Amino acid sequence: MLNSRLLLSVVLLLAAAVAADEPRVTYLRDATNNRVPLNTVAPVYPTIARRDRVEGDVQVCFNVDRDGRPFRIAVRSSTDRVFERPSIRAIRASRYVSLPEHQEVPGIKTCRTFRFRLESIG
Amino acid sequence: MNIPRCGLMFALLGIVVCADAVGQSENEARTVIGPSNIDLADGATALRVGNAVDGVRLTQRGLQSATNDRDRVAGYSNLCAGYIMLDELDAALDSCNRALEIDDEHWRSYSNRALVYVKQKRYAEAEQDIDTGQSLSPNSRTLRIVKAMLLDATDPVSPTIIIDDRRHVPPDDAE
Repeated sequence: MLNSRLLLSVVLLLAAAVAADEPRVTYLRDATNNRVPLNTVAPVYPTIARRDRVEGDVQVCFNVDRDGRPFRIAVRSSTDRVFERPSIRAIRASRYVSLPEHQEVPGIKTCRTFRFRLESIG
Repeated sequence: MNIPRCGLMFALLGIVVCADAVGQSENEARTVIGPSNIDLADGATALRVGNAVDGVRLTQRGLQSATNDRDRVAGYSNLCAGYIMLDELDAALDSCNRALEIDDEHWRSYSNRALVYVKQKRYAEAEQDIDTGQSLSPNSRTLRIVKAMLLDATDPVSPTIIIDDRRHVPPDDAE
Protein backbone atom coordinates (compact mmCIF):
# COMPACT_ATOMS: atom_id res chain seq x y z
CA MET A 1 0.00 0.00 0.00
CA LEU A 2 1.38 3.30 -1.03
CA ASN A 3 0.86 5.57 1.88
CA SER A 4 1.31 9.31 1.68
CA ARG A 5 1.69 11.76 4.48
CA LEU A 6 1.59 15.48 4.34
CA LEU A 7 3.23 17.54 6.97
CA LEU A 8 3.28 21.24 6.80
CA SER A 9 4.78 24.20 8.51
CA VAL A 10 3.86 27.81 8.04
CA VAL A 11 7.02 29.23 9.41
CA LEU A 12 8.67 30.11 6.14
CA LEU A 13 5.63 32.11 5.11
CA LEU A 14 6.47 34.35 7.98
CA ALA A 15 10.14 34.54 7.20
CA ALA A 16 9.63 37.99 5.81
CA ALA A 17 8.80 39.03 9.32
CA VAL A 18 12.48 38.68 10.11
CA ALA A 19 13.62 42.19 9.56
CA ALA A 20 15.52 42.92 6.38
CA ASP A 21 16.42 46.46 7.31
CA GLU A 22 19.03 48.58 5.55
CA PRO A 23 22.43 48.55 7.23
CA ARG A 24 23.95 51.61 8.80
CA VAL A 25 27.26 52.37 7.14
CA THR A 26 30.35 53.80 8.81
CA TYR A 27 33.33 54.78 6.69
CA LEU A 28 36.86 54.89 8.09
CA ARG A 29 39.82 56.03 6.01
CA ASP A 30 43.17 57.74 6.36
CA ALA A 31 45.37 59.66 3.95
CA THR A 32 47.70 56.79 3.15
CA ASN A 33 45.70 55.24 0.33
CA ASN A 34 47.16 55.76 -3.12
CA ARG A 35 43.78 56.26 -4.77
CA VAL A 36 40.96 58.53 -3.72
CA PRO A 37 37.50 56.97 -3.46
CA LEU A 38 34.85 58.62 -5.59
CA ASN A 39 31.82 56.41 -5.05
CA THR A 40 31.96 53.86 -2.23
CA VAL A 41 29.32 51.16 -2.34
CA ALA A 42 28.51 49.28 0.85
CA PRO A 43 27.81 45.56 0.66
CA VAL A 44 24.44 44.08 1.47
CA TYR A 45 24.27 42.34 4.82
CA PRO A 46 23.53 38.72 3.82
CA THR A 47 20.04 37.68 4.87
CA ILE A 48 21.17 34.32 6.23
CA ALA A 49 23.93 35.92 8.27
CA ARG A 50 21.47 38.49 9.55
CA ARG A 51 19.00 35.73 10.42
CA ASP A 52 21.56 33.56 12.18
CA ARG A 53 23.19 36.53 13.92
CA VAL A 54 26.54 36.02 12.25
CA GLU A 55 29.10 38.83 12.21
CA GLY A 56 32.38 38.89 10.34
CA ASP A 57 35.15 40.69 8.48
CA VAL A 58 36.28 40.51 4.88
CA GLN A 59 39.37 42.16 3.46
CA VAL A 60 39.32 42.60 -0.29
CA CYS A 61 42.34 43.76 -2.31
CA PHE A 62 42.29 45.02 -5.87
CA ASN A 63 43.94 47.22 -8.44
CA VAL A 64 42.36 50.40 -9.69
CA ASP A 65 42.74 51.40 -13.33
CA ARG A 66 43.29 54.89 -14.64
CA ASP A 67 39.55 55.49 -14.94
CA GLY A 68 39.01 54.55 -11.30
CA ARG A 69 37.54 51.11 -11.87
CA PRO A 70 38.62 48.29 -9.54
CA PHE A 71 39.95 45.15 -11.21
CA ARG A 72 41.76 41.96 -10.16
CA ILE A 73 39.49 41.87 -7.15
CA ALA A 74 40.35 39.14 -4.64
CA VAL A 75 39.44 38.28 -1.09
CA ARG A 76 42.57 38.48 1.03
CA SER A 77 41.06 37.34 4.30
CA SER A 78 37.62 36.45 5.53
CA THR A 79 36.08 35.18 8.73
CA ASP A 80 33.04 33.68 6.99
CA ARG A 81 32.45 32.90 3.34
CA VAL A 82 28.89 34.17 3.52
CA PHE A 83 30.25 37.73 3.45
CA GLU A 84 32.63 37.33 0.52
CA ARG A 85 30.31 37.63 -2.45
CA PRO A 86 28.54 40.80 -1.29
CA SER A 87 31.95 42.30 -0.50
CA ILE A 88 33.28 41.61 -3.99
CA ARG A 89 30.09 43.00 -5.52
CA ALA A 90 30.45 46.16 -3.49
CA ILE A 91 34.04 46.65 -4.63
CA ARG A 92 33.08 46.01 -8.24
CA ALA A 93 30.40 48.70 -8.02
CA SER A 94 32.66 51.26 -6.33
CA ARG A 95 34.67 53.89 -8.17
CA TYR A 96 37.83 55.90 -7.50
CA VAL A 97 38.89 59.27 -8.80
CA SER A 98 40.49 58.82 -12.21
CA LEU A 99 44.11 59.78 -12.80
CA PRO A 100 45.26 62.42 -15.28
CA GLU A 101 47.08 61.25 -18.41
CA HIS A 102 50.51 62.33 -17.23
CA GLN A 103 50.29 60.45 -13.93
CA GLU A 104 51.41 56.85 -13.79
CA VAL A 105 48.90 54.29 -12.56
CA PRO A 106 50.36 52.76 -9.39
CA GLY A 107 50.75 49.00 -9.50
CA ILE A 108 50.23 48.62 -5.78
CA LYS A 109 46.99 47.03 -4.69
CA THR A 110 44.37 48.86 -2.72
CA CYS A 111 42.71 47.00 0.12
CA ARG A 112 39.40 47.57 1.83
CA THR A 113 38.03 45.80 4.88
CA PHE A 114 34.32 45.35 5.40
CA ARG A 115 33.22 44.71 8.97
CA PHE A 116 29.73 43.23 9.21
CA ARG A 117 28.23 43.91 12.61
CA LEU A 118 24.87 43.55 14.34
CA GLU A 119 24.10 46.17 16.92
CA SER A 120 21.55 45.55 19.61
CA ILE A 121 18.69 48.03 19.44
CA GLY A 122 16.62 46.53 22.25
CA MET B 1 5.78 6.99 19.24
CA ASN B 2 8.27 6.56 16.51
CA ILE B 3 7.33 7.95 13.13
CA PRO B 4 9.30 6.81 10.07
CA ARG B 5 11.34 9.49 8.37
CA CYS B 6 9.84 11.18 5.37
CA GLY B 7 11.03 9.93 2.03
CA LEU B 8 10.58 13.10 0.09
CA MET B 9 10.88 16.65 1.24
CA PHE B 10 10.67 19.88 -0.58
CA ALA B 11 9.99 23.45 0.25
CA LEU B 12 7.83 25.57 -2.01
CA LEU B 13 6.66 29.09 -1.35
CA GLY B 14 7.63 28.80 2.23
CA ILE B 15 5.60 25.73 2.97
CA VAL B 16 7.30 22.45 3.64
CA VAL B 17 5.46 19.51 2.21
CA CYS B 18 6.61 16.10 3.18
CA ALA B 19 5.49 13.03 1.39
CA ASP B 20 6.28 9.65 2.81
CA ALA B 21 5.89 6.83 0.39
CA VAL B 22 7.00 4.02 2.62
CA GLY B 23 4.86 0.90 2.44
CA GLN B 24 2.97 0.48 5.68
CA SER B 25 1.81 -3.07 5.70
CA GLU B 26 3.39 -6.02 4.05
CA ASN B 27 0.09 -7.85 4.34
CA GLU B 28 -1.58 -5.36 2.06
CA ALA B 29 -1.34 -6.52 -1.53
CA ARG B 30 -3.34 -3.64 -2.95
CA THR B 31 -1.51 -0.60 -4.30
CA VAL B 32 -3.15 2.76 -4.04
CA ILE B 33 -1.80 5.59 -6.12
CA GLY B 34 -1.84 8.93 -4.35
CA PRO B 35 -2.42 9.97 -0.78
CA SER B 36 -4.35 7.69 1.52
CA ASN B 37 -6.26 10.60 3.02
CA ILE B 38 -7.41 12.86 0.22
CA ASP B 39 -8.75 15.56 2.51
CA LEU B 40 -5.50 15.82 4.47
CA ALA B 41 -3.56 16.02 1.23
CA ASP B 42 -5.89 18.64 -0.25
CA GLY B 43 -5.80 20.57 3.01
CA ALA B 44 -2.02 20.64 2.95
CA THR B 45 -2.07 21.79 -0.66
CA ALA B 46 -4.52 24.58 0.16
CA LEU B 47 -2.38 25.72 3.06
CA ARG B 48 0.72 25.57 0.90
CA VAL B 49 -0.77 28.03 -1.56
CA GLY B 50 -1.90 30.31 1.27
CA ASN B 51 -5.57 29.36 1.35
CA ALA B 52 -5.83 29.00 5.11
CA VAL B 53 -9.64 28.82 5.31
CA ASP B 54 -9.94 25.89 2.91
CA GLY B 55 -6.78 24.37 4.31
CA VAL B 56 -8.16 24.28 7.83
CA ARG B 57 -11.58 23.04 6.66
CA LEU B 58 -10.14 20.21 4.58
CA THR B 59 -7.64 19.24 7.25
CA GLN B 60 -10.39 19.07 9.86
CA ARG B 61 -12.38 16.84 7.53
CA GLY B 62 -9.33 14.71 6.89
CA LEU B 63 -8.76 14.29 10.59
CA GLN B 64 -12.28 12.88 11.01
CA SER B 65 -11.39 10.04 8.70
CA ALA B 66 -7.80 9.60 9.86
CA THR B 67 -7.16 5.94 10.54
CA ASN B 68 -3.74 6.02 12.18
CA ASP B 69 -1.57 8.14 14.41
CA ARG B 70 0.70 9.26 11.60
CA ASP B 71 -2.22 10.84 9.78
CA ARG B 72 -3.46 12.38 12.98
CA VAL B 73 -0.07 13.91 13.83
CA ALA B 74 0.29 15.28 10.32
CA GLY B 75 -3.27 16.58 10.41
CA TYR B 76 -3.03 18.32 13.76
CA SER B 77 0.34 19.80 12.89
CA ASN B 78 -1.04 21.15 9.63
CA LEU B 79 -4.13 22.37 11.42
CA CYS B 80 -1.87 24.22 13.83
CA ALA B 81 -0.11 25.81 10.87
CA GLY B 82 -3.42 26.78 9.32
CA TYR B 83 -4.69 28.42 12.48
CA ILE B 84 -1.44 30.36 12.76
CA MET B 85 -2.06 31.67 9.26
CA LEU B 86 -5.56 32.68 10.38
CA ASP B 87 -4.06 34.24 13.51
CA GLU B 88 -6.25 32.02 15.68
CA LEU B 89 -3.50 31.32 18.14
CA ASP B 90 -5.45 29.49 20.85
CA ALA B 91 -6.81 27.04 18.30
CA ALA B 92 -3.33 26.70 16.81
CA LEU B 93 -1.84 25.94 20.20
CA ASP B 94 -4.51 23.34 20.90
CA SER B 95 -3.78 21.62 17.57
CA CYS B 96 -0.04 21.62 18.13
CA ASN B 97 -0.53 20.21 21.61
CA ARG B 98 -2.70 17.42 20.21
CA ALA B 99 -0.05 16.56 17.65
CA LEU B 100 2.60 16.44 20.36
CA GLU B 101 0.41 14.33 22.63
CA ILE B 102 0.41 11.69 19.91
CA ASP B 103 4.05 12.09 18.95
CA ASP B 104 6.35 13.97 21.30
CA GLU B 105 9.22 13.74 18.81
CA HIS B 106 7.51 15.58 15.99
CA TRP B 107 9.85 18.49 15.37
CA ARG B 108 7.51 20.32 12.99
CA SER B 109 4.89 20.52 15.72
CA TYR B 110 7.49 21.94 18.11
CA SER B 111 8.42 24.42 15.41
CA ASN B 112 4.82 25.46 14.82
CA ARG B 113 4.10 25.66 18.54
CA ALA B 114 7.21 27.78 19.06
CA LEU B 115 5.86 30.16 16.46
CA VAL B 116 2.55 30.34 18.31
CA TYR B 117 4.42 31.12 21.51
CA VAL B 118 6.46 33.83 19.79
CA LYS B 119 3.27 35.45 18.53
CA GLN B 120 1.79 35.18 22.03
CA LYS B 121 4.97 36.71 23.50
CA ARG B 122 5.57 33.55 25.56
CA TYR B 123 9.25 33.68 24.75
CA ALA B 124 10.62 31.23 27.31
CA GLU B 125 8.26 28.51 26.11
CA ALA B 126 9.11 29.33 22.51
CA GLU B 127 12.81 28.95 23.25
CA GLN B 128 12.19 25.63 24.94
CA ASP B 129 10.28 24.29 21.94
CA ILE B 130 12.94 25.54 19.53
CA ASP B 131 15.62 23.78 21.57
CA THR B 132 13.61 20.57 21.63
CA GLY B 133 12.93 20.83 17.90
CA GLN B 134 16.58 21.45 17.13
CA SER B 135 17.63 18.48 19.21
CA LEU B 136 15.29 16.36 17.05
CA SER B 137 16.19 18.03 13.75
CA PRO B 138 19.51 19.87 14.14
CA ASN B 139 19.69 21.11 10.55
CA SER B 140 16.16 22.41 10.21
CA ARG B 141 16.06 25.70 8.34
CA THR B 142 12.51 26.24 9.55
CA LEU B 143 13.58 26.10 13.17
CA ARG B 144 16.40 28.55 12.46
CA ILE B 145 13.87 30.98 11.06
CA VAL B 146 11.63 30.59 14.10
CA LYS B 147 14.66 31.17 16.31
CA ALA B 148 15.50 34.31 14.34
CA MET B 149 11.94 35.52 14.85
CA LEU B 150 12.26 34.84 18.56
CA LEU B 151 15.57 36.71 18.72
CA ASP B 152 14.14 39.61 16.74
CA ALA B 153 11.34 39.81 19.29
CA THR B 154 13.53 39.52 22.38
CA ASP B 155 16.84 41.04 21.26
CA PRO B 156 16.40 43.05 18.07
CA VAL B 157 19.51 44.03 16.18
CA SER B 158 20.33 46.39 13.38
CA PRO B 159 22.96 45.56 10.75
CA THR B 160 25.95 47.85 10.55
CA ILE B 161 28.72 47.77 7.98
CA ILE B 162 32.03 49.41 8.67
CA ILE B 163 34.04 50.17 5.55
CA ASP B 164 37.63 50.40 6.66
CA ASP B 165 40.11 51.81 4.14
CA ARG B 166 42.81 52.48 6.70
CA ARG B 167 46.17 50.94 6.07
CA HIS B 168 47.22 51.07 9.70
CA VAL B 169 44.41 50.08 11.98
CA PRO B 170 44.92 51.04 15.63
CA PRO B 171 45.04 47.92 17.85
CA ASP B 172 41.92 49.01 19.72
CA ASP B 173 39.92 49.05 16.48
CA ALA B 174 41.13 45.75 15.21
CA GLU B 175 38.30 43.81 16.85
